[in-house]
Amino acid sequence: MSVQTREAPPRKRRPAAAPRAAGPQPGEGRRADKATLPYLLLLPALALTAVFLGYPLVTNGMLSFQNLNMTQLIQHVTEWNGFANYTDTLSNEEFWRVTLRSVIFTAVNVVVIIVVGTLIGLLLARLGPRMRLLLSVALVLAWAMPIIAATTVYQWLFAQRFGVVNWVLAELGFESMADYNWTGTQLSTFFVISLLLVWTSVPFVAINLYAATTTIAKELYEAAALDGAGAWQSFKCVTLPFLKPFLLVATFLEIIWIFKAFPHVFAINEGGPNRLTETLPVYAFVEGVGGQHYGTGAAISVLTILILLALMAYYLRIVLRQEDADETENDGEMA
Amino acid sequence: MLVVNVAACGSDDDKKDGPESFKGQTLTLWAMDGSTPEQWTKDVKAAFEKKTGAKLKLEVQQWNGIQQKITTALSESDPPDVIEVGNTQTPAYAATGGLADLSDLKKGLGKDWTPSLNKSAVYDGKQYAAPWFAVNRTVIYNKKIWAEAGIKGIPKTRQEFFDALEKIEKKTDAEPIYMPGQNWYFLDGLIIGQDADLVKKKGGKWVSNLADPKVGKAMEIYKKYASYSKAPKNKDEATPQQAEVFAKGRTGAFIGLSWEAATAIEANKKLEKDIGYFTIPGETADKPEGVFLGGSNLAVAAGSEKQELAKEFLKIALSDKFEGAMAKESGVIPNKTALQSNLKGNPAAEAAAPAVENGGLTPLIPEWGAVENPPNPIKTYMTSVLNGKSHDTAAKAVEDEMNKRLAQKQ
Amino acid sequence: MRRSLLGRIWPNATALVLFVGFAFPVYWMFNTAFKPNGQIISETPVWFPTSPTLDHFETAVEAENFWTLVRNSVTVTVLAVGFSLVVALFAAFALARMRFRGRKGIVLTFMVAQMAPWEVMVIAIYMIVRDADMLNSLVPLTLFYTVMVLPLTIITLRGYVAAVPKDLEESAMVDGCTRLQAFRRVIFPLLAPGLMATSLFGFITAWNEFPLVLILNKDDQAQTLPLWLSKFQTAFGDDWGATMAAASLFAIPILLLFLYLQRKAVAGLTSGAVKG
Repeated sequence: MSVQTREAPPRKRRPAAAPRAAGPQPGEGRRADKATLPYLLLLPALALTAVFLGYPLVTNGMLSFQNLNMTQLIQHVTEWNGFANYTDTLSNEEFWRVTLRSVIFTAVNVVVIIVVGTLIGLLLARLGPRMRLLLSVALVLAWAMPIIAATTVYQWLFAQRFGVVNWVLAELGFESMADYNWTGTQLSTFFVISLLLVWTSVPFVAINLYAATTTIAKELYEAAALDGAGAWQSFKCVTLPFLKPFLLVATFLEIIWIFKAFPHVFAINEGGPNRLTETLPVYAFVEGVGGQHYGTGAAISVLTILILLALMAYYLRIVLRQEDADETENDGEMA
Repeated sequence: MLVVNVAACGSDDDKKDGPESFKGQTLTLWAMDGSTPEQWTKDVKAAFEKKTGAKLKLEVQQWNGIQQKITTALSESDPPDVIEVGNTQTPAYAATGGLADLSDLKKGLGKDWTPSLNKSAVYDGKQYAAPWFAVNRTVIYNKKIWAEAGIKGIPKTRQEFFDALEKIEKKTDAEPIYMPGQNWYFLDGLIIGQDADLVKKKGGKWVSNLADPKVGKAMEIYKKYASYSKAPKNKDEATPQQAEVFAKGRTGAFIGLSWEAATAIEANKKLEKDIGYFTIPGETADKPEGVFLGGSNLAVAAGSEKQELAKEFLKIALSDKFEGAMAKESGVIPNKTALQSNLKGNPAAEAAAPAVENGGLTPLIPEWGAVENPPNPIKTYMTSVLNGKSHDTAAKAVEDEMNKRLAQKQ
Repeated sequence: MRRSLLGRIWPNATALVLFVGFAFPVYWMFNTAFKPNGQIISETPVWFPTSPTLDHFETAVEAENFWTLVRNSVTVTVLAVGFSLVVALFAAFALARMRFRGRKGIVLTFMVAQMAPWEVMVIAIYMIVRDADMLNSLVPLTLFYTVMVLPLTIITLRGYVAAVPKDLEESAMVDGCTRLQAFRRVIFPLLAPGLMATSLFGFITAWNEFPLVLILNKDDQAQTLPLWLSKFQTAFGDDWGATMAAASLFAIPILLLFLYLQRKAVAGLTSGAVKG
């Protein structure tokens, strides 16, 4: 069912949904597996998720309605305070600034990651085997680098004194960069954070995209060339449709990853300077854990989840539609 | 005494201080990274284990995220028994009820504790911790560079100090002093030197007093210091470690703690003979600059089931013998003035000691802890003044944030 | 289509630049770790460790409890990944091969679970674990890590299961295999590369996890390597040599695993990820 490997070049298709031949209507010819077997198979996964994710989520939700600070935590006291944490947060200008910043931050980084990742993926497809191996190894190294190690290394690369980046820039003639303080302004801090995020995220997109292109049959390009298609046209008509489902999923995952990115943002400058690089997860952490106002922190985290859900609603819809399409197709195959 | 107790075998006596009574127990001590010198730790451990028969387990803690860690630990059923708490943070923890009342210890063991050091351990009239040690900053300088600049003698007043820095700037290629923009505890010292307060009571509530012109005066002095430095204006003394910068040998001086000098020497052994210390000079020669008396208290977790054993430990660790040994080994200011003789022969500590008298702390209210949580608004204030904003504007810009933090529910 | 000289040069030139860009931070980490202090704190960067030293590695390894932490990290990571693979395989099989009521909702649940912001739920988790009296234990850590990596594992594995041609399974069953046998003999071998690829995500997540272990396991016998690494960052401040040595040691297992599994991973990840 893997799209790349089995799908013929698409003909007409609904937008966004994976290219699938229209099959019989859903419900028709539904095959009767033993009714309880799928539930049994899913039981461990669902139970684990419910206990170790669902329950903490509910607890977190309850904490968000409490006045929970050092004293209450130490004394094990529950002090309900209604919607106070929410009204405090929502009426706080800072919260909305951080929200807007998070959305922009996510959008910019996801676009850069997808575009750069796609370009590198296509480049990989064009390279000779030796160069391809070389570049792949570099990509895999960046991809595999554990986050904590990566943030440490980036701090060292961009260190104001003795950092190698400043030295290189100064040697290249940017004298003023000799002792440049990368964490001094909002923009430069975001630059370092984004570079780190792009560096760690692009390999996933590039390598997978390259793998996807290898499954495109050569004949399709030949056919396109015969039809007189130029490089751009054959890319648009042959390559892109193949990659679209993958890009969709990659975007979905990247949005989640970037929006939630916590160690990257926090480690580089702890949300500074002046709290100007706090994204929502960092804001929740600084307010809740840093300030030891755990109730407020919980409220912010609940709001963070809701905002992320809202952002992802569009994608979730697409995913659901694709599920429908899958079911239809499968039923068709089985019928 | 040990023999007597074992021989007596009386159950009542055993409970008091006999080795039998605590046998099999383990006392957990949380101390911060760098607080417990090696030999001292070994000796205290031996003395404690000998006297009580219990084991001592030292767990060294990192500063990063320590407040949350202590808070959650105090909420647990099996908390660490004895905890090192920063003196400025002690009132906040005392207010939560998570620390045990040690008032009875004060009467015996703590009769002669230096009042300025004990202040932070008292909350609401009760003794919630025992002062352990304090440290304060001195000028740490590179004699070679000072000689290069032709400076003779040690500056006795602030103006002489500035003149010396000026000379280094003119006559050498070295950075006269390393002064990052957010060395906030140095600023706090300057504020103490100006007799200013960071908070005031207004309508029964604590509010920021940052806009006080006296604070502005302190910041002006700070700015003058910073003008002799290329250090980042928005970083504190730990990023990068100022000692590491100093270790490269092209920095005239920095304001730091004695362990920082050790760090510098470790990074550059050649520096050892060139390193010197002097008390931060004040306005006049007879009164050194105000300093922040950073330090630590030892507290007992209220939830600990080993209250008696914990007190036994405090009695040993804070005894004159070990308190003196600690001062000697790590050059920290001991909790009694009488023990300061142990600092002899330690040039850094000798330079630090004269300032203790005029030392002070941050405001000792539970609400203060929130102000220092990152991002510390005072650090923000410092950076904006150094970047050219006026004291009034910069103070106004962060006062709302400060007041908000001071008003936070506890 | 013949390409001009320029057309042949620029992809290679770009690839070379990219190679340097992506590999350099990793190289610089190792490079710094092997350099003596004098070469690290130096006005002109030293590009190759001309007088390599293992001092920094010694410092890093000699940290208290290092080997206990290694054992804890490996235990927790391996168990969490293994556990989640088994559980996910069942779920993936059901989701990929069976039709049943509520299937869409369950897929959606795992999608949404993938979004869970774990870092900001630590206090809630802490209170649950504390009240269950399970602090300073590897068990809750393992279980939480399992669930952290579970959604993506299920979603990815589902793609692999679906990619196994159904005919194979059916013909096996025609040959007299039971469904379980068909699964074990036919599908499972085909899934092996997929399982390995999927496990990479899990390894990285569990190996890296920091906020939860920080608050749950205060006993230094019960901690994991990320805490050790962060200790280096704070305790040694600008001791970049020791910090980079620690970071290198921390990264090496994952780097090796990745390089080893890369081929299989890439081949499989596409089909899996595409289904995502």
